[in-house]
Amino acid sequence: MNENSAMNVEITGLTRRFGSATAVAGVDLRAGPGVFGLLGPNGAGKTTLLRMMATAVSPTSGQLRLLGRDPAGYGPRREIRRRLGYLPQNPGYYPGFTVTEFVEYFALLKEVPAGTVRQAVATAIDRVGLADRRKHRLRTLSGGMLRRACIAQAIVNEPELVLFDEPTAGLDPQQRVTFRALLRELGQHATVVVSTHLVEDVGAACAEVALMDRGRIVFQGTPDELMACADGQAAGDTPLERGYTAALDRAQS
Amino acid sequence: MIAVTRMLRLELRHNAMALMVPVVVVLFWFTTYRRVMAMPPLWNLRAADLQMYSVVDFVTPLTGAAAWMGSRESRRRLADAVLITPRARWARLLATWAATTIWALVAYVGCVAVVYGMTAGQVAGGGPLWWPAAVAAASLPAFTALGFAAGVLAPTRLTAPVTAIVAFFVLVLSTELIGHNGHSYWQIAPIVSVAWNTGSNPGVATFYPYLPDLSIAQVMFLAGVAVTLLGTLALVGESRAVRAAAGGVTAAGLAAAATAVLLVGTSAMDPHGMMRIPALHDAANDRPVQFTPVCSHAAIPVCLNPAYSAYLASTTAALEPVLNEIAGLPGAPARILQEAATYRVDSRDGEEVRPTEGNTNGEAVYHLLLPVQMLGPTLTTAQTASQVKWTDGPDIVANFIGAGPGASQAQNAVAAALTMVLGRVSADPNLRADLNGEAPGGPGPSELGGLIRGTAAQSAAERFAALPAQTRRAWLASHLAALRAGQITLSQLP
Repeated sequence: MNENSAMNVEITGLTRRFGSATAVAGVDLRAGPGVFGLLGPNGAGKTTLLRMMATAVSPTSGQLRLLGRDPAGYGPRREIRRRLGYLPQNPGYYPGFTVTEFVEYFALLKEVPAGTVRQAVATAIDRVGLADRRKHRLRTLSGGMLRRACIAQAIVNEPELVLFDEPTAGLDPQQRVTFRALLRELGQHATVVVSTHLVEDVGAACAEVALMDRGRIVFQGTPDELMACADGQAAGDTPLERGYTAALDRAQS
Repeated sequence: MIAVTRMLRLELRHNAMALMVPVVVVLFWFTTYRRVMAMPPLWNLRAADLQMYSVVDFVTPLTGAAAWMGSRESRRRLADAVLITPRARWARLLATWAATTIWALVAYVGCVAVVYGMTAGQVAGGGPLWWPAAVAAASLPAFTALGFAAGVLAPTRLTAPVTAIVAFFVLVLSTELIGHNGHSYWQIAPIVSVAWNTGSNPGVATFYPYLPDLSIAQVMFLAGVAVTLLGTLALVGESRAVRAAAGGVTAAGLAAAATAVLLVGTSAMDPHGMMRIPALHDAANDRPVQFTPVCSHAAIPVCLNPAYSAYLASTTAALEPVLNEIAGLPGAPARILQEAATYRVDSRDGEEVRPTEGNTNGEAVYHLLLPVQMLGPTLTTAQTASQVKWTDGPDIVANFIGAGPGASQAQNAVAAALTMVLGRVSADPNLRADLNGEAPGGPGPSELGGLIRGTAAQSAAERFAALPAQTRRAWLASHLAALRAGQITLSQLP
């Protein structure tokens, strides 16, 4: 297998404008199997980039190939979506659904084979640690549990490309640790792109990281390389935070 | 198919319309059931009003629930999450719409089953009219499609109440535009079940089959509207093939709806009080319904259509005094037979024409039109009998004696005398009450026959009426021919 065939995400010069505002400005990015961290301050363009990768919005210009296919065409886009998992930044839910029903609903929408839906749903719920709440209605769950139910819907189809937008927001420390383990497990078989501004998540789970600022990627490398960016004056409590701050300061200066 | 069934099951379990079913049932009970069941037990009356009022009951909660469901993905911030799934958007939306519609249909079918079931236990003749029920049923998918499309296209929290209110007012106000024009396109509104100007009328669809012409056009229109709205939802975000198919479906729906409206524009009231659309009309429906009348055992049998058998006893009681007077005499009718009302099709208000006396199968028959067959307020059994008594009783006598304008004073006096008998003998307490002036429109005995109090004719009439019944009959038997020929004078009356 050559390097190109392993790339599940290939982005070249990707731009997205909303009116006069440019949310993503000429991003180049390649990601293969493993966990890929997308860092950046609020408004950096992470969510828009992720939504384009999720085929929720189309790019204004540039090239986007996901799982070896161009999502611009209806057929390839449908095939990508069948193998895609996406957790939006503010995931919604139907309050009256139980956890099982909610995940089953998405399994059906993701065209999981009818014969395996039940098992796939149970597995996804188990993986996010909600097995004992499977029959509870979503309106009765805490914020962290809701987030986990939404993660379950994203992974119910065993996706090859997983996009998580701020997945650990609202999770308690123990849940975040569990979730990072899940990320590493998913990353063994799929490309997992995690957008976050919590650098410790990146340090714990990501093999590669990109730092976005004002619609552009200003740093791409391993977490160790990001830590190495830190100089003596950068702010932060951990080496990774200091590297993040230094890289960002350098881009903004 | 299994996946679709599972999706539908989930949608049915979590559909806003399921929560609205109790509301709709209460509304139906309050405004439709009580009104319909208070009507005389006639299929035509109850079916027509069931269509009109049930559609009004359902439209607001149904359209609102559908709009709420249509806007659900956006309101619940799930638009992105469902958008990026491979299942076609139209399939996802269709499942939600179908669940909403199924709940509405379940509620509606339950309501109709109760009304028709109760009615079946009360009516004596005829069968349920299914076309009015079908039109109301067809309006449900159309209204859910309307609300759902509004919810999808404008997914705000205000969409549901606004759509529900607008749908209600458009539906109700559309009939205001029908006016007196029998050709109005607005008769396409699904709350129109009969000629709008006559309203629900017990005189129609009993002696002649219910004309489904208007109903067919309405179902065609409603199906067209539903298909158009649902097709519109698949025009964006789908594959080229799906968009092309959706375009075709939308165009076909539009064509069906437009054709139905144009067809309704050609409608006109037929002589039996129903709307006829030439292009949809089946001539077989012009043939009268065959029935065996139910008859009383009076001196002269009173025979009614089985559907009106509830009125037989009171009608017979109302006419019996007069019938006893003339039964067996030459020229007396052999039967009193109920006839169908005939409508003046050129009349803007479609007033009925009364039947005339004639012969049926060689026997003299008086053709009776019950007041409940005519336009106007719904009458109780007692009110119906009272009107028969004071309208048909004198009419039977006048026909028998030959009284009326141009007749001799003696003829008019005898006719008045026999009519006075109506007010004197009655076994029915309701009819006795009528005579005491409790019934509206009942003439006083002194006014009968058009005779003026204090005249010789009036004195002769009272004198004749005061004779024993056997004496009157004996005199009539021997003098009837001369009386009819105008050869008897007032002074010759006993």
